[in-house]
Amino acid sequence: MIEQLLQLTVNGLIVGTILALTGVGASLVFGIQRVANFAHGEYLTFGAYAGLILNVYYRADLITATIVAMAATALLALVIHFLVLRPLRSRGLVAMSLITVGIGLMLRDVVFMVAGPQIRQYAIDQTRVYDLGLVRIAPGQAVAICVAAVVVPAVAYLLARTPIGKSMRAVSDNRDLAAISGIDVDHIGTYVWILAGALAGLGGVMFAMIQGTFDPNLGYQILFLILTSVVLGGIGNAYGALVAGVVLGMVMELSTWNGFAGGLDARMKPVLAFAALIALLLWRPQGLFGKARVL
Amino acid sequence: MDFLNPAFWTFVAVIAGIYAIMALGLYVQFSLAGLPNFGHVAFMATAAYVMAILVVRYHVPLALASLAAVGAAVAVGLLLAGPALRLRADYLAIATIAGGEIIRYLAMNLPELTGGPLGSMGLAGPGNIAMYNQDWMALLNRLTGALSGALGHAVSRDLTMALLVWILAGLLIFVFWRMERSPWGRVLKAIREDEVAAAAVGKNVFAFKLQALIFGAILGAIAGLLLAWQIGIFSPEDFQPTLTFYAYLILILGGLNRIWAIPVGAVLFSVLFSGTRLLNFFPLSLIDSGNRAFLRLFLVGFLLVLFMALRPQGLLGNRKELILEK
Amino acid sequence: MLAAPRGGAVLLEIHDLGKSFGGVAAVDGASFGVTEGSITALIGPNGAGKTTVFNLVSGFIRPDRGTVRFAGRDVAGARGDAVARAGLVRAFQAPRVLTRMSVLENMMLGAKDQPGERLGMSWIAPRRVAKREREVHARALELLHLIRLADLANDYAGTLSGGQRKLLELGRALMSEPRMILLDEPMAGIAPVLGQQLLQHIRDLRTRNMTVCVIEHDMDVVMSISDRVIVMDEGRVIAEGTPDEVQRDERVIEAYLGRLGTVGVGGPPRGDAA
Repeated sequence: MIEQLLQLTVNGLIVGTILALTGVGASLVFGIQRVANFAHGEYLTFGAYAGLILNVYYRADLITATIVAMAATALLALVIHFLVLRPLRSRGLVAMSLITVGIGLMLRDVVFMVAGPQIRQYAIDQTRVYDLGLVRIAPGQAVAICVAAVVVPAVAYLLARTPIGKSMRAVSDNRDLAAISGIDVDHIGTYVWILAGALAGLGGVMFAMIQGTFDPNLGYQILFLILTSVVLGGIGNAYGALVAGVVLGMVMELSTWNGFAGGLDARMKPVLAFAALIALLLWRPQGLFGKARVL
Repeated sequence: MDFLNPAFWTFVAVIAGIYAIMALGLYVQFSLAGLPNFGHVAFMATAAYVMAILVVRYHVPLALASLAAVGAAVAVGLLLAGPALRLRADYLAIATIAGGEIIRYLAMNLPELTGGPLGSMGLAGPGNIAMYNQDWMALLNRLTGALSGALGHAVSRDLTMALLVWILAGLLIFVFWRMERSPWGRVLKAIREDEVAAAAVGKNVFAFKLQALIFGAILGAIAGLLLAWQIGIFSPEDFQPTLTFYAYLILILGGLNRIWAIPVGAVLFSVLFSGTRLLNFFPLSLIDSGNRAFLRLFLVGFLLVLFMALRPQGLLGNRKELILEK
Repeated sequence: MLAAPRGGAVLLEIHDLGKSFGGVAAVDGASFGVTEGSITALIGPNGAGKTTVFNLVSGFIRPDRGTVRFAGRDVAGARGDAVARAGLVRAFQAPRVLTRMSVLENMMLGAKDQPGERLGMSWIAPRRVAKREREVHARALELLHLIRLADLANDYAGTLSGGQRKLLELGRALMSEPRMILLDEPMAGIAPVLGQQLLQHIRDLRTRNMTVCVIEHDMDVVMSISDRVIVMDEGRVIAEGTPDEVQRDERVIEAYLGRLGTVGVGGPPRGDAA
């Protein structure tokens, strides 16, 4: 029982951290463009496959593969932003939602066509397991922990201390106020997309690693977890997303613990996230940390 | 299948007609009342599953099971979207798509109830292949026989189905066309435009939106039942959110504010969609048939973006009456 | 304190109405009464809470405390559409016309008791629905002629100018034959000619025994059309009476001038600054 609890806690922290990182990017973007990006999951898929190409076909090490994946995804995000999203941003909430759905469909099916629907994995020995006594960690999880240990402080520092990070937070928190304060919203928007793209690429690679195997549906499956983290943390609230991602990851993993009257069936975990998302939107759209906005 | 095979195109006609009814259900919610329901597919899934479960497990007669199925879809609509009627447009979109996915996940992961990933075939337990279609097929056969007799030569079952579906679609579109032009439709139009203004002149906005939602659920349920009967089997994979976006594309193709453009959009969509199966010539022959399925989905996404960007009023719509600029 | 009304029943009465937003009290214990058949002006410096009072009274915001009685009924906290159906109709500061519907459709929307608006009635009682539609149509055209927008009946309301939209909003409100109309800054931002027309229409409302409450900043307008003036400042009613009485009231003068002083125009020098 206790062992399972500890294992689930570790798993939850790992998943949660990746969700947190991806959520930060998504939250900033959502805060700026004010419309949910239904294609965001596909950015993760793209990142995962970009990393795969580097890692498996070019035999690059995982670090290099991850960095290239992040760069490639950031580039993709920028291209889509300049080509499609920015020119069309005056179309209204529903039109933009439909557009992002369309982009998502296109991205996902390009990956299906180019890479094929078969299940893939990174060049990590999936059968190895690090036994740390009370908990066990798969190699993919170990990599994720190392990466997170570097990236999370870096992102936190970027957002907290650097001028550009502060501008990003200001714009995504209250776009109009930031504009009045003299921040060039469009300019910052570009940087936000670069960051969001990079974090999405990172998230894709890491999810692929901790899952062990993946296919082009990877990003779509995680999309709602990301949306839930974003709403939970308060849309546009980068720090909120960091915390909310971890909370969501933990809650989802821990919900399967036997100690909770047998625990939730593992297959039902996503349903938890869906239900939480709907509940939040209905009763507390500002999430845990956002301020209630008078509509 | 050969390009000129009439049986293939009859089949496409049936699907087009069913999609037209599905799109009509979305039209009532979105084009009439301004509710961007991104989870419309949930109504179809609920109806199909409830009907199949009742027929296979509890041996309920088809007519009764169908009625119950429509009722179940309405209940789902009330449950999932009723409270959400007060949400902002894009939040409603997120909430409804999440709701639809809950339904699909439940269908996938409760095999004792829904047959799990196997779908309708698994409803009779392992080792049995469940069919819910017998009564419908019998009915269809009788109709086909009658029709063949009346016309003097043999008519295929699919052709009868196509006629049935399109007559139903035409009738339903006519009904809602009339309602759109009535004072009731005027209130809905006003709500879609500016619900605060509508409330300021004494209209009960919530009640009207709820009515639109329920009609959407009923129409979605009908489409779901027809689809289930036509194909004979279904699984959770058949009710992905993509289906909802087919409906949006159908509406967009024809023109979001033109109810009579729905059949045009539905036919266009079905022809494009199914027709790509037949494009065996170069360079498309380079893409194998498996990949062509993904190409089709890619095209759906592409057309969504293209029309939203360049021609949001659709092929037949009126630019001045665009309803998306909110 | 509430001064005794001149005569006639009190149609709208609010008592100790309060509403805060994020800790700031927009309305802080406002009380007043509006006599039936009168034109009452609600004035006060910016931020006094006038529009919020309108929103609270018409049901578009829920009050934190206080009572609102309209025609003898307690309507505090009732929803906007319910209050409108009770006979209290409002127009907005920025006119809310339905831009992608025609002017005529906008007008017809305003009418009450349309059986065709109920689900299925067009199928169950088509003749009754058609008859009422004809009545509503005729009445709409009649009113459009009155407010001189009849030529534009079939144009999209979105093509109307600001002033024309205000007229349309007034016309639409009149379609429901309300007992009382709330107008929020009807003169703001419209051409003088249209403004005069609007003013005349407001005066004419008295002949239909309609009660009007107007938020206005233009003092000339207020003086010329109101029977009574209510002055608000910082969420409370600070004075009420006839236009002349209010104009001479010291508290009112202070409230308006006090605003000017803090902006720094001719304010006293701050001798004690370090």
